[in-house]
Amino acid sequence: MDFYLGLAQIIGIHTLLGLSAYCVLLTGQVSLAQAGFFAIGAYVAAMLTVLAEWPLIAALLAAALIAGTVACAVGFPALRVKGLMLVVATIAFGEAVRLFFFNFDYQVTKGNIRVGPLGGEGFRQIRYFPEHGWSTLEVVLFVWTVVTLIMVALWWMDQSRAGAVLRAVGEDEVAAQSTGINITAVKVSAMTVGGVIAGAGGGIFAHYTTHIEHGQFGVVLATFAIAYPILGGLSNVFGTLLAVLFIQGFLIEGLRFLGDWRNLLFGALILLAMNIRPRGLLDAGAIAALRHLTYRKEATGA
Amino acid sequence: MELLDLIDTVQSIADGVLFGATYAMLGIGFTLVFGVMHKINLAYAAASIGAAYASLLILAGVNAPAAVVFLLAALAGGVLGGIVYVVCFRFIPLANPLATLMSTVGLLLLIDEIIVHETQGVPLAYPALFSDVIVRVGPFGLRGDLMFVFALGCISMVVLLLLLYRTKLGLATRAVSQQPTAAQLCGISVDRVNGLTFVVTGVVGGVAGAMTGAAIGMLSPLLSLPLTVKGLIVTVIGGLGSIPGAIIAGLLVGGFENVFQFFRGVSERDLYVMLLLFAFLVFRPGGMFQPSSARD
Repeated sequence: MDFYLGLAQIIGIHTLLGLSAYCVLLTGQVSLAQAGFFAIGAYVAAMLTVLAEWPLIAALLAAALIAGTVACAVGFPALRVKGLMLVVATIAFGEAVRLFFFNFDYQVTKGNIRVGPLGGEGFRQIRYFPEHGWSTLEVVLFVWTVVTLIMVALWWMDQSRAGAVLRAVGEDEVAAQSTGINITAVKVSAMTVGGVIAGAGGGIFAHYTTHIEHGQFGVVLATFAIAYPILGGLSNVFGTLLAVLFIQGFLIEGLRFLGDWRNLLFGALILLAMNIRPRGLLDAGAIAALRHLTYRKEATGA
Repeated sequence: MELLDLIDTVQSIADGVLFGATYAMLGIGFTLVFGVMHKINLAYAAASIGAAYASLLILAGVNAPAAVVFLLAALAGGVLGGIVYVVCFRFIPLANPLATLMSTVGLLLLIDEIIVHETQGVPLAYPALFSDVIVRVGPFGLRGDLMFVFALGCISMVVLLLLLYRTKLGLATRAVSQQPTAAQLCGISVDRVNGLTFVVTGVVGGVAGAMTGAAIGMLSPLLSLPLTVKGLIVTVIGGLGSIPGAIIAGLLVGGFENVFQFFRGVSERDLYVMLLLFAFLVFRPGGMFQPSSARD
């Protein structure tokens, strides 16, 4: 049972990571910086609960805020470039954050042990949940409350004018600009929202694993972050959730019995999925088919 | 004392520039594919390392001379390049840039895992030529294996430039990169040119993979991600689609990172490479050699 509860937490955390990339992808920008924001959130939240003994929720809010601020600051110079240049700029930002934490020491003595981040050794003993007597089930519920809140908020945003503006910029920047949309403001706000979500996700991740180190936040995590929304499709937030379930639930955990072959199949299945469904698993066509199946009347003005 | 420091600094710059030839080759691969298809092939560095591995695994047991291993790596690189094109680009609509980005990431992971599966994740020793030669120039010593790698890189780049500017395939490649539709109207098969570009970049990548193996002395699947990042950085600093830019940026990044490795240690080295990239993005976003005409 504990195994499934742990899996549920991992799926929740990765959904947050995927949703943060989803916001940025809606504006047509491919950002590989999400792992960097995730790392900032993780380190900030962990340092606040362990070193400053803040309550978890306050620490998570602070982590989200700081990651969002960094994302906003990075957004301005980075969004001057687009396409491949942005991919490279954001990879470089993510790597710079990782290398910063690789060289970052800040330890204090607490009780008999030294706690805090220690360069390559990472940050051990983030024991907020066991120290405050949270059961695994409570942690799962907490993670999924946050995930649900953010998904609902994004779903609502998607339906509102803000979503239409984001998608307009993503579809055609020139056309969007000609209707009076300030595309820089739109892109930077999408980046900021993405940073906030990634920061919150990172904070939860740090408390889930109890041990974070720079290697966990590399390019691989950044590619996972954009892989979820791209694989799931950008039509709505549930695509990302579906892709996280597919990758974390099926490809990583479900195929564990295959042993070594699982890793081989992992890359091959992503390759296959992109060849068969280049617009994502849950693309516009799939959604139309689902609507048809349930005989639900489509809302006007899609 | 001061003089010794200066000598050490110059020495580390020289070593770095020699090793930078591999970065230049990887940068050329990214830049060529971008020039022709306006797409990134993220599987490129992994395929290059894969080609170097293939040359080792095929010749396992046979005590082949290093030159044969290098040749085989280039051939394997070409074959892998073709496979990359068919698997990641041929059947995916070009209008959707995200899909090919993702498919190349999938292939990157797949190639890495195939390597791990075949070698149990143990790094393999790679043969080097002239590794016992050290050329003395005044107070400086130039390592023979790095010199060889650098020379090999220069020869490959000259061959590539001749191919691009002196052959029909090169003319077709440049035509497609300027205007695919017009090229098609002139009777050039865009699919064929795209595929051949991947084979050519694959050969370049295979040589680059072998060069990396020879310069470091071993091969490990852990190399492919850092090399991907370095190759992309070189591409951007050099200017997207510019081959001379990729060459100069590759040598620049090689020298730059080695001098910072000398002063600040290996764990901080890449941080300064990222800062160099940011400096370029802020002050010269088009890279050193901005393509003069805007493509459309």
